[in-house]
Order: sequence, then C-alpha cells, then structure tokens
Amino acid sequence: MSSHPQNEHTSDDDGAVHAHVAPTKLYIGIFLALVAATVLTIGLSLVHLGTWNLAIAVVIATAKAALVVTFFMHLKDDNRFHALIFVGTLLFAGIFLAYTLNDTQHRGQVDRVNGSQMNDATGERAPGGLP
Amino acid sequence: MSTATTDAPTASLEEAQPDAAPQDHGGHGPKFLAHHFDTPVQQFDAAKLGMWLFLAQELLFFSGLFVLYSVYRSWYPADFSWASHQLNRFMGGANTIVLLFSSLTAALAVRSAQVGDRKKTGMLLLVTIACAFAFLVIKYFEYVHKFEAGLLPGDRFHPVAAHLAASTRDLPIPQHGGSFFGIYFMMTGVHGLHVIIGIGVMFWIWLRNQRGEFSEQFWTPVDLVALYWHLVDLIWIYLFPLLYLID
Amino acid sequence: MATEAQNASAAPVDAAHATTDRNFFQERSGIKSWLVTLDHKRIGLMYLVAVVLSFLVGGLFALLIRIELLSAGRTIMDADTYNRVFTLHGAVMVFLFIIPSIPAALGNFLLPIVLGAKDVAFPRLNLASFYLYVVGAVLALASMIIGSVDTGWTFYTPYSSNTDVGSKNAVIWMTGAVFVLGFSSILTGVNFITTIHKMRAPGQDWKRLPLFVWATYATSVIQVLATPVLAITLLLLIMERGFGLGIFDPRLGGDPVLFQHFFWFYSHPAVYIMILPGMGIVSEIIATFSRREIFGYMFVAMSSVAIALLGFLVWGHHMFTSGQSEYSTMVFSALTFLVAIPSGVKVLNWVATLYKGQITLSAPMLYALGFIVLFSIGGLTGLFLGTLSVDIYLHDTYFVVAHFHYVMVGGTVCAFFGGLHYWWPKMTGKLYDERLAKVAFWIFFIGFNVTFLSQFVLGSRGAPRRSWDYLPQFEELHRFSSVGAFIIGIGILLMVIVFVRSLVSGAKAPPNPWGSAALEWQTTSPPPVENFASTPVITRGPYDYHLATEGELYAGFPEDFEPSKKA
Repeated sequence: MSSHPQNEHTSDDDGAVHAHVAPTKLYIGIFLALVAATVLTIGLSLVHLGTWNLAIAVVIATAKAALVVTFFMHLKDDNRFHALIFVGTLLFAGIFLAYTLNDTQHRGQVDRVNGSQMNDATGERAPGGLP
Repeated sequence: MSTATTDAPTASLEEAQPDAAPQDHGGHGPKFLAHHFDTPVQQFDAAKLGMWLFLAQELLFFSGLFVLYSVYRSWYPADFSWASHQLNRFMGGANTIVLLFSSLTAALAVRSAQVGDRKKTGMLLLVTIACAFAFLVIKYFEYVHKFEAGLLPGDRFHPVAAHLAASTRDLPIPQHGGSFFGIYFMMTGVHGLHVIIGIGVMFWIWLRNQRGEFSEQFWTPVDLVALYWHLVDLIWIYLFPLLYLID
Repeated sequence: MATEAQNASAAPVDAAHATTDRNFFQERSGIKSWLVTLDHKRIGLMYLVAVVLSFLVGGLFALLIRIELLSAGRTIMDADTYNRVFTLHGAVMVFLFIIPSIPAALGNFLLPIVLGAKDVAFPRLNLASFYLYVVGAVLALASMIIGSVDTGWTFYTPYSSNTDVGSKNAVIWMTGAVFVLGFSSILTGVNFITTIHKMRAPGQDWKRLPLFVWATYATSVIQVLATPVLAITLLLLIMERGFGLGIFDPRLGGDPVLFQHFFWFYSHPAVYIMILPGMGIVSEIIATFSRREIFGYMFVAMSSVAIALLGFLVWGHHMFTSGQSEYSTMVFSALTFLVAIPSGVKVLNWVATLYKGQITLSAPMLYALGFIVLFSIGGLTGLFLGTLSVDIYLHDTYFVVAHFHYVMVGGTVCAFFGGLHYWWPKMTGKLYDERLAKVAFWIFFIGFNVTFLSQFVLGSRGAPRRSWDYLPQFEELHRFSSVGAFIIGIGILLMVIVFVRSLVSGAKAPPNPWGSAALEWQTTSPPPVENFASTPVITRGPYDYHLATEGELYAGFPEDFEPSKKA
C-alpha cells in the first residue's frame, strides 16, 4: 500500500475512512468567537492608533483565520502534511511580498537616477525618470 | 475500462462518483470506490491532498492581489485612507458576519454528512447557498454606490462630491484613488467570482446529496466543497479590515 | 478487460487469468475512445502529439526569424511582422511546448507506470487539464489569426497595455490563452503530487523512487505554487487593457516594474519547470546506459527539490536594469549564485555515474550526454548574467538569447528528444532505426552549436536582441547563426523521419530493449491498460543492477529467455 502517514483518518488498517466527528457545540463556539473578533476589529478601527491600527487589524484577522483553518477546516485532526502545505504556501506568499516590498520601499536610494520618478502634473510614475 | 464510463471532462477534484466505478469490479470494495484505488481510505486521502494543493494554488492566486495592496498602500497611505472611508463599513461588516455564518453551516453540513444525516446535510447546504446569495446582494448594492459616486479604477476615477462620505467631502481628491479602486474591484471581484463558483459547486453537491450518493462511509465531496468555502471565507476575513477599516 | 488482483489484501490470485495479451492501444478503438479516455497513457500520447505540433509551429517561427536576420535591413518581412514572429516563437515554445512537454506528455505516460500504479490519482482531472491545454492552444491560434501580439513572450507593461499593432485585442486573446494554459499546468501539478504521495505500489518507498519522479515532484510543486501568480498577473493585465485598472501602466498611475516582479515570480521558477524534468530524464538514461547505480542518489533527488525552492528566491535577476532598488538587485544577484550548487551536484553525480560504467552510446545516451555538455555551458554562462556588473553590459543582448537557448534547447529539448527515443519502444511498442537516429542527433548537436555559440559572440560584442535590423559588423555572425538554424531543422526532420518509419515499419519492441533495471521496463511494450498484469511489489530501487535478476535485465522477448548456466 501507499505509505499513509499515521493520522486520524488512516490509523485503522481496514481501509475504511474513519472521521473525527467534532461536537456541534464546538463549531458554534468557534463561530461566536469569530463574530466577537469581527466586532472587536470594527471597534478598534474607530480608535486612532496610527500605524498600530493596521498591525492590530492584521493580528485579529490572522487569529480569525487560524480559528477557521484549525477547526472549520479540520487541520487540527487532519494529516500533518496538509498543515505543512498550508503553512508552506503562506511562506511562499510571504517571500513574494517581502521581496517585492524590498524593491518598492527602497527604489532610487543609492542612485537617484535609477529611482522611480513621478510627474506631479499627471501622476505618471516610471522608473528611470520621465522625459 | 474506465474509458467508457466518462461523460464530460470536469474540473472537479472528486474522482469518486459511483458511476466511475466499472462494473467488472464486483467484490472490489464499495460502489463509490474508483477502479484505480485500492481502498476507500486511499481514495479519501488522495482527494483531501488534492484539495489542499488546490487551495494552496488559490492562496497564491490571491497573494498577487495582496502584494499589490501592500505596495500601493505603502506608497500612498493617505490616498488609501481617503478611499477606504468611501466604503460602507456597515455593509462590509454585515457581509463578514454573513460569510462567517455560512462557514459555520458549511462545517456543520460536513459534520452531519459524517454521521450520515442526509436530510440535515441538504438543509445546511441550502442555508450556506442562501448566505452566499445574501453576500452577493449586499455586494451588489455596494458596487452600485461606487459606480454612482464615480469611485472607479484608473482613469475612470472621477468622484462625485455629493456621493462621497461626509467626513471626506472637504478633503482634496487624492491622485491615486484610482489605484485603490482598481485593487478594490479586483480583490472583491475575484473574491465574488469565487463566491459564485462556490454557489454552483454547492448546488451540485446538494443535488448529489439529495440523490443519496453520500453516506457515513462516503462523504468526501461535501468535505471538499466545505474546504473550498472556508477558503473563500478566509480571504474575506483579510479583505474586510484591509479594505474597509483603514484609519 | 484486465481483471487483476485489485486489492492488496486479496492477494494476487490466479496470475494466468490476470495476464492480458491486449495493450492499451488495443483495449478500445475509435476516435471517441481517445477523446474521452481516462487512461493516463492515452492522455500522455495526446499531449505528446499536441506538444510536438506546437514545437514544429514554434520551430517554423524560429526559421522565419533566422531567415530575416540573414542580412541587415529587410530580408523577407518588415519590422512589425518580425516583432510578431519572435513573440510567437517565444510564446508558442514556452507556453505550448516546453512547459507541458516533459511533465504532461512523457510524465503522464510514465509516472503511474514507474510508481507501479494503475493510473494517476485523478484521471478525469487529467483529461480536463488536457482539454484546457487545447482551449489555450485554440485561443493562442485565434490571437494569431486576428493580428497577433508583438510584445515579446514576456508581455511587459506598459507596452502590452497599450500596443495595438495588428489588432487591438490580440494581447487579450494571447494572455487569455496563457491564463488557461496556466490552469492546465496547475491541475497537472496537483494531480502528479497527489499521485506520487498516494498511488505508489507496495514497497515503492521514497528512497526507491526513480529520479525522474523526484524531478517531476519538484516540478509539480513549482507548478502549483508559481503558476497561480502568473494567472493573476495576466488577469490584471487583461483588466488593465479592458478597463484601465491603473496598476501597471504609469499613464494611469501604475508601476510597470511591479509587472516584472509579478511576471518573474512565476516565470523564473517556470524556467525550472522546464529544466527539472529534463534532468530527471537524463538521470534515467545515464543509469540505464551505464548499467550502474546513480552516484549519490539522494543528493541528486534533493538537488531537484533544492532547485525548485531556490527558484523562488532569484526572480529579480531578470530585472537588474529595470530600475528596481539596488538593495533588491544585490540580494537577487547573491542568491542567484546559490542555484549553481544543486545544478553542479547534478552534473557531478552524472559524470561520477558514468565513471567506470558499462557505457552504451545509443541514441538516447547521446542526447543525455549532449544535455550534460550543453546544459553546463548554458548554466555557467548564467553565472555571467547573474553577476551584476557583467549583466548591465550583457542585458538584452544576444548573449542572453544564447544562454537561455543553451539551457532550454540544449538542455530541455535535448532531454525531451532523449526521453522520446528512450521510451519510444515502451510507448509505441516499436523499435526505431538506431543508426539513423544517431545521425540525426549529430546533425542536431552540430547545428545547435553553430546557431548559438555564434550568438554568445554576437552578444558579447553588444548586438541587441529582438532587433529586426543590425549593424554591418554583425552580419557574418548572424549569417553563421542562421545556417546553424537550418542544420537543426534538418536534424529534426531526420528525427521525424526515423520515428515515422518506426511507426510504419518498425520491428516489434521487446518489453525491455535496453536491458534496464527500472520498473517501467518490467511490463510489456506497450503496457496493458492497468500498466501491469498485477500490482507489482517493489523490492529494490530502479538502479539496483546488482539486485536485478537476469530475467529482469534480459533485453529480448521473454519467450526467448533462457537463464544462463554460468551461475
């Protein structure tokens, strides 16, 4: 047989699927937590905290996402490899984001001519300057 | 052998329709088991792995839009703040709750499928579909407002003062509002497209449920469509604060 | 119908009944049996026909380019036409040929067989990706008919968001085609990863996987993780053209360099989608024709994974002159050199495998050795281009063109041809004319070097790429290069003749004509529908010549086999 990693679904060797059935109450509890977090984000967005607003919003969103992934999407009881796929994917998206920002945040700092310039009249923006 | 039993190519990730099991496999496991698998658990694991890989693909598809968002927000923070105030936080918040609730019903649909409660599964799927429609209706009203207010992408960005949020009416029109609304329409548009696709797929799964294809032994398609739906929810969980709640 | 032991627990009962004389060609017949087939072998062959057709179309465009460059100024076409021809050459070769060539065509055919599986994990998804490929090809064709794109295969903005040479909508059609082709590629990747994880035969553990499978696995990871970014990029470009989105076009407040980030986040890893499967094929061929275990198996396997992952970290080296931040440029340049390490590991291990091997210089082996030589040149010139200061000078010259043709044609295409020869008897059940095939190889190899070595010289002297006209001092080298292109054409024509003759009048192939120890040669040629008479149990690796029995390595027909009495 294919090597099945030991997990909730495959630990029995009768070839049938054995699911971990979570109680309904758990799902409803998670939902209520998600709603509470949503209300909290909206509330905090009304408070002026400068750059902290973005950080707080992202942290709360990530907490909500973690709840959805762990319980609604069953990663908690699922094959560990699926969690690896999920986290790995986020890592690659992170590489994409970090490297792109590394450029867009630092253009033209060493060589002004090489930097992106903007035509104030039109808003036109181009690297290497405009004619 | 399998060549004779297909109807049309579908992009679905389930390979477990009962009609795909050839007739000459009598004695080879249950009806829902496709011929090239040895055991139901192998089939289930393969389907789940395939779905997770598909979700990975979805995440990177959206990642491009999040990168765009980050770059432009870091370049034009004031423009983004102005533009964000034009969005309706109440409608956005309501849509968040609607989607969260639909995620709950999708998760419960999987649960009832796992325990073999066909009737309840069908009902929960219908509630999920109804929530998806509610989401789209709210989105529609938001879009109509943006069109009326001239809050459109790129060179179509010509705000109409009368339709702007009261708090921003006296501020100058930002130069890069068009970029924000380009990103806004791409993000919510692509997300909305996923909602529409989700409605279609869930309806199909609902039909199969009503036809009695699922049981305590076989409920993979319900599980997979729910995974997809949770991902759609997940994207929105980020879209809402990033687009609507900029200070 | 193959009614074999389906369930491992049910044990391989009545072997006599399980054996079927019919191969997958004979199982069913008629057009419909192909169009709606779920058999990975048939889908693989349909892909093969499609990618070979695309290759011939792309090759035709290449010849048109080289004819135009025979002399300075106008030779046979005007500048606008030339722009369209080189764009189509690039787009067709990259998106319709190289990316699907090895994974989707050869990979589809072989992957389940070498795993000992009956089929891929999702046969219907497999067929769906083939039809997505067809839809993409039709869209690309439509873009050519309505006027065709002149942006280059990279679709750089802002030119691509504004150009309307030929047709206003050609860019939308062509990028739409690539969008669809991307999803075909993603679905193939999803399918292959799942297949490798879940469909392996008993005993086929990770340390026994053929290196072709490792390479395919690494490729599939890139397909799943990188291709969606291309999809969203092209969607943004389409929307920008259609609705003036204001993301990439500076006229609308966008930033064109962002497009390059987005494009190369996919397209640099995509270069490894193109080359990795080729490396996998070379590993297989080298092992078979040296009759030796691959030197440093795990290193070769892991170098594939390393190349795939490093591929995501270096995309900015395509953008050194784009105006991106100098900090980015330095990071990308430094990381680029890391790719040389796993590539070097591979070349070293192949050469070490050859050392003291029992080498047979068959046609596939010639292609594999050709790969090592040409890939090494292509790879090492890549280091020139990864070096910041040198790249500023060489960027957008023929040096770049020569570099990536050495990797893509000298590497991937060479490996593809090698794999085609190597597995031809398995796929068709026919032998081909070895002597003529070797002649074709040498013509191809010589023609290739004539064409592209001269372009290294052209580039180092500053000849710009993608240019319709050139200065008089480049004429000699350009002519030399064009002559080479026609030599390549003759070589490929001869190869086509070899294969057509084989199909028409080739001798019947035995199961294992090369005497290989690998699993795919242990079933009939061509294989039965479910690949093996009964599910194989794997007890050794594909290169364990010291563990293989005399019968397993026997190169003739099984009925003629007589165990030697030496033992």
